[in-house]
Formats: sequence, structure tokens, C-alpha cells
Amino acid sequence: MEGRPAEDAVLVERAQHGDTEAYGELVRRYQALATRTAYVITGLSTEAEDAAQDGFTKAYFALARFRTGAPFRPWLLRIVANEAKNRRKAAGRRPTVDLSVAEDRPSGDTALSPEEAALASERRTFVLGALGKLREEDRLVIAYRYFMQLSEAEMADALGCARGTVKSRLSRALARLREVAGGEVSAGD
Amino acid sequence: MTERLDDRDLERTLSDIGARLDGPKRDMWPAVRTRIAERRAKPWWSRLHLERGAFAPVAATLAIILVAGLLLTPRFADALGHLLSIPGLQIYRVPESPTARPNASPPTFAGQGVTSVAEAGRVAGFTVRTPAALGEPSAIYVETAPVRVTIVYASVKGIPLSPQAGVSAIVVEFKGTLETQIMSKAIGPGTTLDAVPLGSGVAYYLAGQPHQFFFRDPAGNIQPETLRLAGNTLLWTDGGVTYRLEAQVGLDEAVRIASSLR
Repeated sequence: MEGRPAEDAVLVERAQHGDTEAYGELVRRYQALATRTAYVITGLSTEAEDAAQDGFTKAYFALARFRTGAPFRPWLLRIVANEAKNRRKAAGRRPTVDLSVAEDRPSGDTALSPEEAALASERRTFVLGALGKLREEDRLVIAYRYFMQLSEAEMADALGCARGTVKSRLSRALARLREVAGGEVSAGD
Repeated sequence: MTERLDDRDLERTLSDIGARLDGPKRDMWPAVRTRIAERRAKPWWSRLHLERGAFAPVAATLAIILVAGLLLTPRFADALGHLLSIPGLQIYRVPESPTARPNASPPTFAGQGVTSVAEAGRVAGFTVRTPAALGEPSAIYVETAPVRVTIVYASVKGIPLSPQAGVSAIVVEFKGTLETQIMSKAIGPGTTLDAVPLGSGVAYYLAGQPHQFFFRDPAGNIQPETLRLAGNTLLWTDGGVTYRLEAQVGLDEAVRIASSLR
């Protein structure tokens, strides 16, 4: 397609009328967000991709029930998150997950000195470890805000809660994260 | 030495983690598309998966039957046709990829030549549609026993001439039912069979090694003059009409062409 990419609503409507390639465009647009959402829940990247694919499939068959005018992104993420939760439950795994990130990716902040970069890397490892010990719901609300930059309205839709409670849920999740992290991070030897 | 991780550092670190989280390594759509098609095709598609291994001895027998050009009883043919749930069409799996007959010449298109799609529809008795993505047809033929319409696209920009068909694309349309068999295909191990969603239904895409196909007469007999090899093919039904698109294009392009049916 040339020019500006089509709006989600346009693609959803086309998909609802049988245009599967329009749905393919939505899949490509949101596959990274969906996979990250599933990863935050499962802690396993291969399973996250599988859960995201199943989530997209379920969302496709639920398109007829999609409310016209509603935002597609949080609706999709809710389905993907449910899929990932179900997989975790079915696998009967322990509540904590091991999360990791690509350390070789260039940071957005190129002005960091080698020492600062090392410190930032340690902080990431430390926070990821603490994040993995949080409850699933706390991980998810933090991920939606900081990893996926969802708006409060989108977070409410994705979490299935009232918009007014998003802030308090995020605040409580961050408090628990600080509690688990103990408020301190090693800054080197 | 330790330092306190204040709120700002924590938020910055979380955002930094978000920027470094891995996404999928490749385009997810082909895998999702397959899952959608498989779910749509149930229970037929799942049956096919389950029966593939067990189907081999039957396929071997069928191959012999095909090569000998013997007739299949209507009841047996019906049972096989139901496997893919495509009205008027059977697909067999055979143990070896079919090979071209010696001195095989490019196919000739049987039937009455007509000058327009509308005329084809009048003769055939159903609305004939053509894929807008292929442009104007080069020729249209209508057969009446059984009724089928063959639309030929001699040369389409971007689509190579098929070594089997000698043209860029062929679209065949007929009103089949699950009880009547108009066309049959024999696919060997070198031919892949994929299900893809198309419109509100499922299409089946045959690619890889050429497969064998032939038409049947109203009595179910093989029409020997139509027995030939075919290249990449997409098969689907819409509004009671079964469509067959033969063109040397990939799956995505075949789906795009099929979606442009007007």
C-alpha cells in the first residue's frame, strides 16, 4: 500500500468483511507488541511467539464481536494476554519468570560513558530480576506502561478494568517492584 | 558499593528494558494465516492431517488406478472428494510425483469460445467472475457437459508463462457439488498443499512439483484429453462456484489475485 498506512479501524472493517490480507497488515503492525505482552507473562520467548500467534488467530475469529469504533490494540492485547495466561496455567509453572533483554542493542542514550553504560546494564538486570518475581498482573500493568507506552485508556481496555483504577494499579505494582528490589542496586565492586 | 534506585532511575530503567525486549524474528502473518485456515477447515483439515500417514496405501492404489485410467465408482469418488470439502473436486495424494506424458503438448482449451464474460455466464448458467488483478482475459471457453468455464490469460505482466500450460494464468470455474466430481488432482510428495483463509472460507494452494489434473465427464469418467500436469494452483469456492487459478505465482500473490474476483 502506498501513502499513509491505513487506520486500524479501516483494516478491522475490511477484515470483518472477509479481507484476510487486511488482517495480515494488523498482524504485522502489532506482532511485536503482542509477543512482548505474551513474553512478560510466560517468560519464554518461543512460547510467547506461539501464544501471540494463537492470540491473533482467536482475535480474528472474534472480529465479529469487536465493537465498531473501539481501539483495536488494547482489545488484541487482552486476548493475547489471556492466551499467554492460559498457557502458563496449563503448564503449571511456578509464579516467577526469568526475563531477559537484548544487551547488545544500542541504547537510545548514546551519551553514556562506558561506566554509565555498565551501570545501566546492571540496573536492567536487577530490575528484570525483581520484575520476574512480581505477580503476573503487576508485571503486565508495568509492561503496558513502560514497555509498550499504552495510554491510560488503552491500559484500562487491555487490563479489563475501569480507567480510574489504572493509576492506582500501576502505582501499587511499582511499589511492589521497589519492595522486591529492596530499593537498592549494586553499582559495581 | 550500592546506590539507591530512585523513582526516576526506576522508570528510566523500565523504559530502557522495554526498548530492548525482543520481538518476533520474522513476519508472523504466514503462520497466523495458516492457523486461521486450519481452524476454519476443521474438521476436514484435521482429518486430512490425521489420515495422511494412513492414507499412503490407499494413495498407492489410487495411483495405479489413475495411471491405468480406470474409472472410480461414484461412491468411492464421493468419499475422497469430501476430504477437502471442495465441491466438484477430488484431491489424491500419490506416492510419486506424476511426470509429463512423452510428447505432451501445451493444453488446448475445449469448449465453445465466447467473446465476453457476460456471454460465458449466459451459456454456463451462472455468474462468471474474473480476477481484476489479471486484467482482460485473452480467451474464454465454456463447456456444457459438465458445465465449466475456462478463462485464459495468455500473458500477464509479472507472471511468467507456465511451462505446463504455456500461458500466464488460467482460471476455471464450475458449479460443483459434493456429490458430483468434475475435476481431480493427483499430488505427489514434491507438491505442497497449504490451506489459507480467503474471504469467509478456505482456499487450498498447491505448489512445488507439478501435480496431475484432469476433468471428468458427467458419468464420472476421466476425460483423457484433459489429463495433464499443472503448476502452482489455488482452489476455492465462493457462492456455490468452485474456482481454480493456475499461475506460477507464490501463495500471497495467488491470494491477492483470488481476492480481486469481480
